[in-house]
Amino acid sequence: MRGFALAEMALRSFDRQFGARCRVQRPDRYRLLDALRPDVRRIARGGGVSYVGASFGAGVISQDLGAFDRLLAFDGERGLLEVEAGATIGAVQRFALSHGWYLPVTPGHPRATIGGCIAADVHGKNPARDGTFRRQVEAFELHSPSCGKLVASANAHADLFAASFAGFGLTGLIVCARLRLARPPASLILRRVPVRDLAEAADVLLEAANARLLYGWHDGRAAAFGRGVIQIGLAGDASQGRSRRARASRDLPGQLRPWPLCAWHRSTIAAANTWLGARWRRPGQAPIDLAEALFPLNRARGYFAAFGPGGMDEAQWLIPHARFDAFAEALREEVARRRPRITLMASKLFAGPATDLAFDGHGIALAIQLAAPREAAQAGFLEALAELAIGHGGRPNLVKDSSLTAATVRRAMPAFEAARARLATHNPGGLYGSELSRRLAL
Amino acid sequence: MTTVVVGASSGLGRALAAELAARRHDLLLVASGARDLAALAADLGLRYGVEVRTLALDLAREVDPGARLLGALDEATSIDALVLAVGVSQAGDDFALDGAAIGELVAVNLHAPLAIVHALLPRLRAARGSVVLVGSVAAVRGRRRNVVYAACKRALVSLYESLRQAHAPGDLRVQLYEPGFLATNLTWGMALPFAAVAPQRAARRIVKGLRRGSGRHFLPRGYALLAWLLRLLPWGLYRRLRQ
Repeated sequence: MRGFALAEMALRSFDRQFGARCRVQRPDRYRLLDALRPDVRRIARGGGVSYVGASFGAGVISQDLGAFDRLLAFDGERGLLEVEAGATIGAVQRFALSHGWYLPVTPGHPRATIGGCIAADVHGKNPARDGTFRRQVEAFELHSPSCGKLVASANAHADLFAASFAGFGLTGLIVCARLRLARPPASLILRRVPVRDLAEAADVLLEAANARLLYGWHDGRAAAFGRGVIQIGLAGDASQGRSRRARASRDLPGQLRPWPLCAWHRSTIAAANTWLGARWRRPGQAPIDLAEALFPLNRARGYFAAFGPGGMDEAQWLIPHARFDAFAEALREEVARRRPRITLMASKLFAGPATDLAFDGHGIALAIQLAAPREAAQAGFLEALAELAIGHGGRPNLVKDSSLTAATVRRAMPAFEAARARLATHNPGGLYGSELSRRLAL
Repeated sequence: MTTVVVGASSGLGRALAAELAARRHDLLLVASGARDLAALAADLGLRYGVEVRTLALDLAREVDPGARLLGALDEATSIDALVLAVGVSQAGDDFALDGAAIGELVAVNLHAPLAIVHALLPRLRAARGSVVLVGSVAAVRGRRRNVVYAACKRALVSLYESLRQAHAPGDLRVQLYEPGFLATNLTWGMALPFAAVAPQRAARRIVKGLRRGSGRHFLPRGYALLAWLLRLLPWGLYRRLRQ
């Protein structure tokens, strides 16, 4: 059957920690979505930009939804947009913005697809204000051999609907979704507030909880640990000017060609932090283009490519408010002791329910990106970080951190077994699987 | 003015529909999958603000696809171009197909283009429009593989010549494109001797040339040299080729 053909391809996670030769089906018609034999293990694949190998796995057929990227219906009065699951978030935002709407919850990579955003229940630029991706999804159509074709929403197949957010594609193939859009501000002003350390950052984040955009960048070096800037995006009126940036950035490619060697050494990390500090660590504010602000990774091609063939790891932990200062201090000591090569730390405020396997809850999330995570010293730091975070009630982001093991996740998420059992009821026989589900025993 | 794209739901046809819509052509899209067509029509309408009508038609079984197309068009609708991007190949097309399978391949690859061209010709002439046929480099010289497919595509060369002989250049433009490997589901997963061309790139070239004169073109152009060499190859040598 046409479209049933399978190509064998080498696939790799965005952080480059996992790779496998996989069989890939690329359906280009609706009837081909269900053409695989019902007992064949499979997983949906969107933009292929998951950090952790969520869209491929050994012995699993990846169903590439690249052809299912169409806009299906748009209600410009109510801000409802129906799109196919393979549509990229960058394309959806461009369409929505050109019609006076936008999606507040947007991941940093513009090639992430709508199906991927649902499966990962991604967060955006201020999860404390906007929640996670589930908040803007009204319904989606899902296909699977066990349940056929159905439309799930909060009112129909509600358990399947809920389990599919942060369900990592294991509940079935999401085919299309109806999204609720929001009105963008007439203009956006980005205010910069320099902070000395992570404790001060937490205070600033809490004070600005209702901002349109809210995130911090921090130096991860021992000598300047936590020093950084909180970026606060405030809604302005039309008279408050436009960004000086004349041209929109091109979308970051799904696959970046890494440089032949890792360029992130202590000296280059120091130079980059010094440059960023000089550029950003000044109080002030300036207009910024919303489309540019939503996809900061578009301007980070060189940053990611510079990790080289060995790639990077992003550990992301959400620490409850009550424990954050203590955690930050313990982390500072750990960094001083081990001196890991942290290229970037970012902070965000969260204020949602810690549901199932989703990355949400009340607290401050700290994302830490490391070069060469397989080097013993770096891996040792990641283990120590996990212990520290668990010791302070931290919750890990399963779709960001390749270094997490099933045992670590079990300890960090008290409801892990219940969430796993819930997922299993929607994935009989483990038909849907991936590198991520194998590693975390989902 | 409306442009008719047959075989519009995937591959080159879908790319052509998108390229035409981006250049503000109203469209009638024809393909077998009603849901695929509806999705594409909605998408092109939303993105480009063009009017897109659809006709779901199983060309492998439709006795008179030309009449069905005419039925889907208002009498007053003027057709500026007919793009026949239809084509299907089948595993086993190496003298292993039965009569039914051969019939399906002939129906889609040859009968449908012939019938649709015949039905729409008066309206295309009235609008001084264009007929775009999509052949294949597989038809350059008969091989042990794609036997029926290549025979049908070779017949399109004859149709192209007939149309050109019958019509003055000012009355009807006739263009035949013969693509090599396109990165569509026809070639997905295949080990190819040459890199496959993105259908979007091929579509850009076809649409750009729509208002130019009649002619026969290879896609990409480099295949013209390959086709010429293949035709020149002595039979004894050609017979030994495996690809």
